[in-house]
Formats: sequence, C-alpha cells, structure tokens
Amino acid sequence: MKATNREGWKRRAVALCVVMASISFGLSGCGKKGDGAGETPHEGKPRIVATSTMLTDLVKALAGDDAEVAGLMAPGVDPHTYEMPARAIAQIRGSDAVFYNGFLLEGKMADVLEPMAAQGKAVVAVAEALPRDQVIQPENFEGHADPHVWGDVQLWKQTVPTVREALQHLMPEKADAIAARADAYSTELDALDAWIRERIALVPEANRLLVTSHDAFTYFGRAYGFEVIGVQGISTAADAGIADIVNTVDLVKSRGVKAIFVESSVSRATIERIAKDAGVVIGGELYSDSCGPAGQMETAAGETYDKGTYIGMMKHNVNAMVEALK
Amino acid sequence: MSEIIPPFHWHLFLTEPWSAWYLDTTLRVIAMAFCVSASCGLVGVYLILRRLALVGDAISHSVLPGIVLAALVAHTLTGPAIIIGAIVAGFVTTVLIESIDHHSRVKTDAAIGIVFSALFALGVVMVTMFAGDLHIDADCVLFGNLAEVATQPGMPPALIQAGSVLLATILLIGFFFKDLLVSAFDPTLARSLGIRARWIHYGLMAWLSVTVVSAFEAVGSIIVVAMLIIPGATALLLTDRLWKALVLTVIHAAASTVIGYHVGLWLDSNLPAAMVVAGLGLFVIAWLFSPSQGLLPRAIGRQRLRDRLEREKVEARETTEKAESR
Repeated sequence: MKATNREGWKRRAVALCVVMASISFGLSGCGKKGDGAGETPHEGKPRIVATSTMLTDLVKALAGDDAEVAGLMAPGVDPHTYEMPARAIAQIRGSDAVFYNGFLLEGKMADVLEPMAAQGKAVVAVAEALPRDQVIQPENFEGHADPHVWGDVQLWKQTVPTVREALQHLMPEKADAIAARADAYSTELDALDAWIRERIALVPEANRLLVTSHDAFTYFGRAYGFEVIGVQGISTAADAGIADIVNTVDLVKSRGVKAIFVESSVSRATIERIAKDAGVVIGGELYSDSCGPAGQMETAAGETYDKGTYIGMMKHNVNAMVEALK
Repeated sequence: MSEIIPPFHWHLFLTEPWSAWYLDTTLRVIAMAFCVSASCGLVGVYLILRRLALVGDAISHSVLPGIVLAALVAHTLTGPAIIIGAIVAGFVTTVLIESIDHHSRVKTDAAIGIVFSALFALGVVMVTMFAGDLHIDADCVLFGNLAEVATQPGMPPALIQAGSVLLATILLIGFFFKDLLVSAFDPTLARSLGIRARWIHYGLMAWLSVTVVSAFEAVGSIIVVAMLIIPGATALLLTDRLWKALVLTVIHAAASTVIGYHVGLWLDSNLPAAMVVAGLGLFVIAWLFSPSQGLLPRAIGRQRLRDRLEREKVEARETTEKAESR
C-alpha cells in the first residue's frame, strides 16, 4: 500500500514537472510580439475615431460623408479625467484612423494610443503636430505643453492640414473632395476669428481678465488679449487647493473683476465659492474642454448657432464673456 | 429612472460586440476574463470545501507587496518574477497567520484579519511610494484594467499568463484529484493513506497565490475574491459530486463572463464588477431553484410532505372511525 503510494507520488511529481515546463514555455512567449494589432479588414467607408468634441467636429467637417466618424467623448465629459470604457477601446481598435489632441489632454489615453501608432496604425495627435514655437510651455506642467490649443482659432486652423493629409492618405480617391472641404472649413475659421476680434473690442481693455475653473483659456487669452486665471492649473485631475482659492479671491477683489466663469466640463463648486467669497457674479458657463450638447441651438448677438459645434462653442463663450465683462 | 439606467439598445450591446470590427476586442476581453474567473473558481472549490474561503480573501490582498516588489525588480506585471513574488507573499501570509494563531491568544479569524489587511496596507504604501516606476496605481489595485490589459498590441502577456495558469490549474487538479479530494473531505483517512496533508495545504496556498496574481492586473484584488468564491459556491449548490462541481464551476465562470460583459457595456461600468454581479445573479438562481438544495424545491418538498402527512392522518382517522362504527 505504502509503496504504491510512493510510486504514485513519483509519477505525479514527474507530471508536475511537465506542467511547470509547459507554463514556463507559455510565459516565455510573453516577450515575443504577436502579429500586429489584429484589426479586421472591413467593407465600405473607413471608420474614424476622434477623442474630444472639438476635434470630432473638425474631422467630421473634413471627412463629410466619405467616412464614418465617431467621437469618443460625449459633450460635457472632461478629457483630462476621461476613463476609456470598453466600447471606446473596441472603437479605437476597430478603426482605420484615430485622431487625438495630444499634449496629455486625454490623460492616460496616450498610453493606449502610442503603442498602436508604433505598430503602424494611423494615430494622429493633431496638437502635437503644431509648430513648437507657437505652443505654450507652462512652467508648472512638468515640461509638457499646454494642450488647450483650440482656444486660439488661428492656431486651431493650423491643425486642419494635418487632419486633411491623414484623411487623404486614408482615402486617396477622395483627396479632392477632402481638400475642398478643408479649404471651406478654414475659411469658416477665418471668419470666426475675425468675428471674435470684433466682439472682444466691445470689452474695455481694463476688464479683459478671465477667471475660470482651470487653465483652459491660455491660448484664447494670448490670441485675443485676455489675461487668464485658472484656479486649478492645466489639468483638472488634481483638485484646487485652499491656497489657490484664497489667492484667486484676493486677486478678484483687488482687480475689481466684474464676473468670473464656470466651465461645463468641470465641477462648479470651486468657482461658486470664489464668487461668493469675493462678492462677484458668475458670468455664465463656458465650454472649455468640450462643446455643448449636439444640436443645441442658441441665439445671441443677432445670430443663431449650434453649441454642439466648435464654431458654436466659441461664439457662445465669446458672447458670454462680452455680456458679463463689457 | 431613465437617467440612472441607460436605454438598452439591442444592437449596440448584443449584436455589435460580435460584429467584424468589434469581434477581436470582444474575444480578447472575454478570453481574459474567462481564464481568470475559471482558474480562480476551480481553486475556490477546494477553498470552500476546506472552509478556507476567508484565507482566499486574505491571500488575494496580501500578495500585493509581493507583486510590487517583483514589479520593481522585473519592471513587468507578468512572468516568473511576479509568480515567485506571489508565492513568497502567499507563503509568508499563511505562515504568519498560523504562527499568530499558535503562539498567541489571538484566534484564527483575528489573525487572518491582522495579517491580510496589514500586508495589503503595506502594498498600498509601496504602490504610492514607487508610483513613478510602476504601471499600477491605486485604481488598478482595486478594480484592475481588464479591457486595456486584454487589448495590448500583439499577444498580450497577461492573456498568455492567465491562459497558462488556467491550463496548469486543470492539469494540477487532474494529477492530484484523489489527494485533494480525500484531504478536503476526510483528513484522518488522508493521513492513513500516506497523503501529506500539510504539503497539500501549502501547495494549495501557493497555487492560490499564483491564480490571484495572474488575475490581479485584469480584475484587481477586490473583485478576485468574488471570482474565487462565487463560481464554486454556485456549483456546490447544484451537485454533491466533486468532479461535477468542478465542471459546473467552469460553466458558471463562462456564463457570468459573457453575461457580465454585455451588462457592463450596456451600463458602461467596470467590466469585472459587472461580471461578478452577473455571477451573483446565477448564484441566486441556483440558490432558489437547485433541485437538491434550492429554497423553492425544498419548500415545495416540505409542503408535499405536510400534505401527505395530513392526508394520511385523515385516512387513518377515517379507518378508525369505520372500524369503530362497524
């Protein structure tokens, strides 16, 4: 009895070694790279994915009906703290091209996108393709550039060629149509830029101080002559400290600011507290890192526009600023 | 209510994940979750039979410092270093629990409570200390990154590791079926047969650590406890035969994975959590309707018995009355 048992142990010990060998064999495969990202080729229009609502709007304007463009972030979603749901991962992996802002706007998403780019997928960071001398390098963002480039319409216009080239590369047979749409959109952006300058002129220069939840308007301020104060810094990932709040209250009081602003994609609490402590009104809600709800129309300053588009979002912001600060 | 529960689109949450461009992501996520859930569930059956479910909970938490140390040395969350780190941490946990239990007046449950929470806390401290050098953060420790882990470009190492661990678990159970069976149900018989119960115990603890660690990156250290216990508990409600319970455990793991995946997409929630909730649903169904132990069949059985007793009582009374009247 005992002898057979010992033999049984021996046999199983040998078998165990086989098991362990097979595991280590399996694990040794870990280091090897597989066969690419595993995309499935599909019929019909190319699938394109874009991250922020502003960028989705731009890509849709250029791609027209020639591609299926899906935006990952819903209106009002804060890109800095965006967590990709499983569906977004599937959309990215199943797409023919991915457009994202870059400069860490999308927080952790770059960790997923950069390896895909390395594997040969068409992944384009539109802001990172801008000329470096026009990009703002803030002191307190650990050497990273400020990602909020759409605040300056002329700068945002410079992302149009980047998107155009990527789309033309993807659909060479539609190159002319894409180029025509890109030119039309650039013209619209030029008109928007001129309109903003005209409207801003209504605000006395002494009043051109913009206090908002986080540093999303630095490019806007540089382009249109505003001094900007963001309570929370560049990213919304870290909350505002007590010192930030106290400093902002002091500044708002000493400068005699008429109004400060909340942002649609950031919690209102901090700004509401500052407005109360400093005794100023909240001048309205600005769309900083996200457009408004798609298809939501607004009529102001004698025209009607869709707040769900980039152009409508900029018009809403400028109208709100002019109304509150003029 | 409609704001809390998103509308259910048949197409978006059931059909689309299986369409061509989505399929690769779906299969990877489901394969990863199934491997993790099935290997945890299989080990869990033996934990439940040996009344060690709480130790499973303990080890799933206390391997964290081992994981962090191994990750600091090897700069990856897969491969031999992690496995060794996990086995060492699991062994330290088991020995610490036993020595506190034996050499102090602290009882077993309190000893488990001290050891696992303290080691987990140590691990959390280490994660925050070395956050820069590691690819894990506190969120990952709690909930895992199932979709991101399963969709890394190429053949994801975590998927290979989880698959190997599942295969090895099945083989180990096959080789040591009798030893595990006897020592789980009848330790005295096991001793008389020459089976070394202590070796079986330590072996089980070591393998528990390995399964938990291979699950860690995908589902985190909280959800893994449910994956250890719920499949086995459901299976053991449905059958008294061990091999049938093991098969049912794997079926439960597969069903809860697939159901939970779709529920998670629909509710836009953390996928492993949705899978555990689906597994809990299956457990409740088994609890209510299990033919042998279910609440409902047992209630019906009791009612039938009561009816029969009542009938027999009436019959007996009638017979006596007849006999008396005669």
